[in-house]
Amino acid sequence: MSHIHMDIENLTFAYGAGEPVLNGLNLHVAEDESVGIIGANGAGKSTFLRLLVGLHFPFSGSVRIEEIPLEKKTLAKIREKIGFVFQDSDSQLFMTTVGEDVAFAPRNYGLPEDEVKKRVDDALEKVHISHLRDKSIYRLSGGEKKLASLATILSLTPDMILLDEPTVALDPRNRRNLIKVINEYDHVKLIASHDLDFIWDTCARTVLIASGKIAADGPTEQIMRDEALLQRYGLESPLSLTKR
Amino acid sequence: MSKISDAISEIQSLEALSRGPGFVNRLHPLGKLLLTVFFIAVTVSFPKYSLPGLITMAVYPAAVFLVADLSFGEALRRLRVVLPLVCVVGILNPFFDRTPVLTIGTLAVSGGVLSMVTLMVKAVLTVLAGYLLIATTPIEEICRALRLLHLPKVFTVVVLLIYRYVTVLLAEARRITQAYSLRAPGQKGVAWKAWGPLLGQMLLRSMDRAEGVYDAMLLRGFTGEFAAGREAKLRPADILWPVVWMLILLALRLFPVTSWIGNLFV
Ligand SMILES: Nc1ncnc2c1ncn2[C@@H]1O[C@H](COP(=O)(O)OP(=O)(O)O)[C@@H](O)[C@H]1O
Ligand SMILES: [Mg+2]
Repeated sequence: MSHIHMDIENLTFAYGAGEPVLNGLNLHVAEDESVGIIGANGAGKSTFLRLLVGLHFPFSGSVRIEEIPLEKKTLAKIREKIGFVFQDSDSQLFMTTVGEDVAFAPRNYGLPEDEVKKRVDDALEKVHISHLRDKSIYRLSGGEKKLASLATILSLTPDMILLDEPTVALDPRNRRNLIKVINEYDHVKLIASHDLDFIWDTCARTVLIASGKIAADGPTEQIMRDEALLQRYGLESPLSLTKR
Repeated sequence: MSKISDAISEIQSLEALSRGPGFVNRLHPLGKLLLTVFFIAVTVSFPKYSLPGLITMAVYPAAVFLVADLSFGEALRRLRVVLPLVCVVGILNPFFDRTPVLTIGTLAVSGGVLSMVTLMVKAVLTVLAGYLLIATTPIEEICRALRLLHLPKVFTVVVLLIYRYVTVLLAEARRITQAYSLRAPGQKGVAWKAWGPLLGQMLLRSMDRAEGVYDAMLLRGFTGEFAAGREAKLRPADILWPVVWMLILLALRLFPVTSWIGNLFV
């Protein structure tokens, strides 16, 4: 089990000279927490996650992962600890076969080939797609692509995974399967999604981003039951709650 | 549309081939790269009428096909577009150089014809050598060898990205043309009027996609350097293979081996 935590203080970021998308955001994520990140369209969920893996510089404020500050020169270290699953699997997968794609990261980190093979085996096993190893990326279904994307980052054995809108374009069966896989993975998870049912099923804690800040933070159950809060930010309570 | 899928699977099978477990695949990429360059240089250096000597050069590709257990027919099929193109070089020679230089039976062969054939053989051998390198060495390994030769990082990164993007762009092209054909049933290909917007879409989407892919590569530890993962330790074969071949090729170039062999039979 990993012992990674994350401290974010007064984080502010704008695209170019535009209005800040994140504006004085504070968040502490403790070891082995799974946190759902919700918020209206364009609230900055994706921007926030991408920033945490160093895709958006410069920002002001501080981000520390296990006491390591997020800076250009610590990127290699941080990216080894944090895996990021893109919303769009087609960007994530660029090698020819699933196995090759999963091997890409460990190879870049210079692991010997037998270790790479082991990492690939383990990662595919974790998401239950060992049978797809030699399958061509272009012959995968949407659900398989998502699991393969997850495997490509698990092969670096990260201590924390970030997922951006993981359920977009998944059918109910694949969605259930993904919930199972994510719940089996016991490291820090940050999941940005407008699919509140999915957050409900995977995250114990939920934070709501609005106006570039954390507008609400608490146990998922408490946030999701606060209909007034959700409505104020243009969100709808999860189906699983309204049905009861 | 299916042509695009074909192109994608073609690239994929070539890549799978390059990552094979064979002897040639496992050799250090630098040796293979230098040997390929050396082979091409020697091949090109043959004078324009020395066809017999040039043909002995074929011993190298032939040997690699055998040792690496590659299919020659497969190679010809893959190179079916390139080979005729390179064979066009020298096609005009017969018209300029009409002096007979050689007679086969009653047939007089002009210098132009001979130099044309020589050029074609050179071109085919060069293409084959390149193909053999790619079929036995993953692109990352070739880039690593280029880096070892101190080629600028910018150059190797561009080589790698182009290679990666080709499949990504082809897949994008396939999605767009599929979407098009679904809404233009019974139409063969793409109407010329739609080419403009379609290409524009393709360009925009490809740029988007290329950026996403580059980000994804960075996140997974891509730095533009290529780690020696496959075979980290240098083995004797890594040096012997290229050196022995270079000596053989040099000998074939410098000594009239074909006439010696000819003399054996007289
Ligand atoms: N590459 C970009 N350049 C400029 N503005 C962007 C870019 N990406 C996103 N934005 C803007 O930043 C804001 C937050 O976007 P995003 O992080 O994608 O929100 P969310 O994921 O919550 O829907 C939006 O207003 C969006 O238009
Ligand atoms: Mg988003």
